Amino acid sequence: MKARKRERRRYAKPGGETYVFQLFVVGNESNSAQARVNLARLCEEHLKGRYQIETVDVLKDAATAHENNVLVTPTLILIKPFPKVTVFGNLSDTRQVLAALRLIGDER
Amino acid sequence: MATPTRRAQHKDATGLRIRRKEIPKVPTGIAGLDEVLRGGLPAGRMTLLSGGAGSGKSLMGLQFLLHGASAGEPGILVLFEERAASVRQNAWSLGWDLASLERKNRLHLLDARVNPEAVISGDFSIKGLLAILDRQAKAMRARRIMIDAVDALLYLYNDPKRERQELHTLHEWLLDRGLTAIMTVKSLPQGEAPSRYVFLDFMADCVIHVDQRVTVQVTTRRLRVIKYRGSGYGRNEYPFLIGENGINVIPITSNVLQHRPPGPKVSSGQVRLDDILDGGYKRGTSILIVGTAGAGKTTLACLFSQAACLRSERVLYLNFEESPESMVSNMLSPGLALQPLIKTGRLVVRSYLPEALGVEEHLFHALKALDEFQPQHVVVDAISACKRMGSEHAAFEYLMRILNACKERGITCMYLNQATGLDIVSEISGIGVSSIIDTVVLLRQLPIGGVMKRQLIVMKSRGSKHSEQFHEFRITDQGIDLV
Repeated sequence: MKARKRERRRYAKPGGETYVFQLFVVGNESNSAQARVNLARLCEEHLKGRYQIETVDVLKDAATAHENNVLVTPTLILIKPFPKVTVFGNLSDTRQVLAALRLIGDER
Repeated sequence: MATPTRRAQHKDATGLRIRRKEIPKVPTGIAGLDEVLRGGLPAGRMTLLSGGAGSGKSLMGLQFLLHGASAGEPGILVLFEERAASVRQNAWSLGWDLASLERKNRLHLLDARVNPEAVISGDFSIKGLLAILDRQAKAMRARRIMIDAVDALLYLYNDPKRERQELHTLHEWLLDRGLTAIMTVKSLPQGEAPSRYVFLDFMADCVIHVDQRVTVQVTTRRLRVIKYRGSGYGRNEYPFLIGENGINVIPITSNVLQHRPPGPKVSSGQVRLDDILDGGYKRGTSILIVGTAGAGKTTLACLFSQAACLRSERVLYLNFEESPESMVSNMLSPGLALQPLIKTGRLVVRSYLPEALGVEEHLFHALKALDEFQPQHVVVDAISACKRMGSEHAAFEYLMRILNACKERGITCMYLNQATGLDIVSEISGIGVSSIIDTVVLLRQLPIGGVMKRQLIVMKSRGSKHSEQFHEFRITDQGIDLV
């Protein structure tokens, strides 16, 4: 019940649990660069002080990409808190990303 | 004005003749397909395999990889739709142990199904996939790859233009790595690719289409090569079937008639008929016996078979009219004992219900029997029943291929055709095969003075003298009594 209440809240409660991300990129190609910037900005705005980002360059570490079945790049995976969330793309649609990461609640 | 043009063309033509050279090819290992492709798929290039649901395209690709795995060319199977575990399991049903090949690093199944719950925000590329493939291809020194149902990934784009760009990226990557690739694409029931994938036909160096169709309740599988850059190929539609050992394509083995010359005369099994034919039939030729029901066609064919078996030769009798048991028992009436011949193994009778199988399966069974049994003579009783394999066209195809196979092997091929009307002369043609038949024997029954008189005439006997008269005959309990 408590969890459901929190979901309805418009913005995530400050000072909650730490968000752990894995961001798969391809070197410095444009979509990847944009995704890095977009993710950093979004974390600073909504998760200040309680996020970790592990960036994986698939050109250097294809094994990790293989393990995680990362076919498209950029791919953002929210590892914690559970449940896991996967987002494809350069993360340009901020509202959509926030909704997917459960950082904004239902828009109704 | 005309002269320079002609000269230029001539120059071009000679230039081509000098430079002409076949491109390097990779065999698929699929029986018959390599003949159609004149050696195999274009090495280091992409082949597009299109087909509807259940048309056999994935299996064809898998067989190509398995052949590579056993020929020292490791391969990767990229699965966008199916689970790797189900592919392994399905392969087991054909006796293929994929897991053991994977352990030996000769095959790799890459489960590339897209997480259906993933959210899309902004643009992305398939570089992740390429990085994974790159690593895997290098690690196992892959030479072949099959990309199955890539549309399941491209669907994410929801944008035909981006799909096209990404397919180009993928194609470029395949070319850069020098992998011989098969990419499958779904086609609509009408046989064409969805319009947004039509450009793939232009991109690929070789395009093969497979389909499954139903004609008069009989399902047949067909394969057609639509294009092949830098190579000749068989341009027809070829029947194929999925048997116990995978795919078998049944091509007309060559575009030139490589028939062996006819051999010496061999007895027809009836002394008088041998006289009429100036010594008998010629070995390795084709014979058509036409007649109305009850005219004695089967009896004549069985006399021939018996004579051959008694000379210690082998006869394959394909019967589409009755079972071996009923044939044996019916032939006791004109005094022919077939059972002992079957026992010695010299006479093999195979009975099939024409409508039970598609034409490609009938062909497969017949050609397999030819290869296994190595007969000197083949009888098909009766070609009129072959129409029930689906259509007159299917029957024609079946008969043509059997005939070709026989002529290439120097086997005598005897076709029986049941004429329906009394005017059988016009029905001699027998589904249009008569032009390639060497000898035609016509049996007819005429009501003369209150009795049916049987008559026999040799209508045609290529490369040999023959009587041009009608000869009366009777079927007695000692065979055929010819006047």
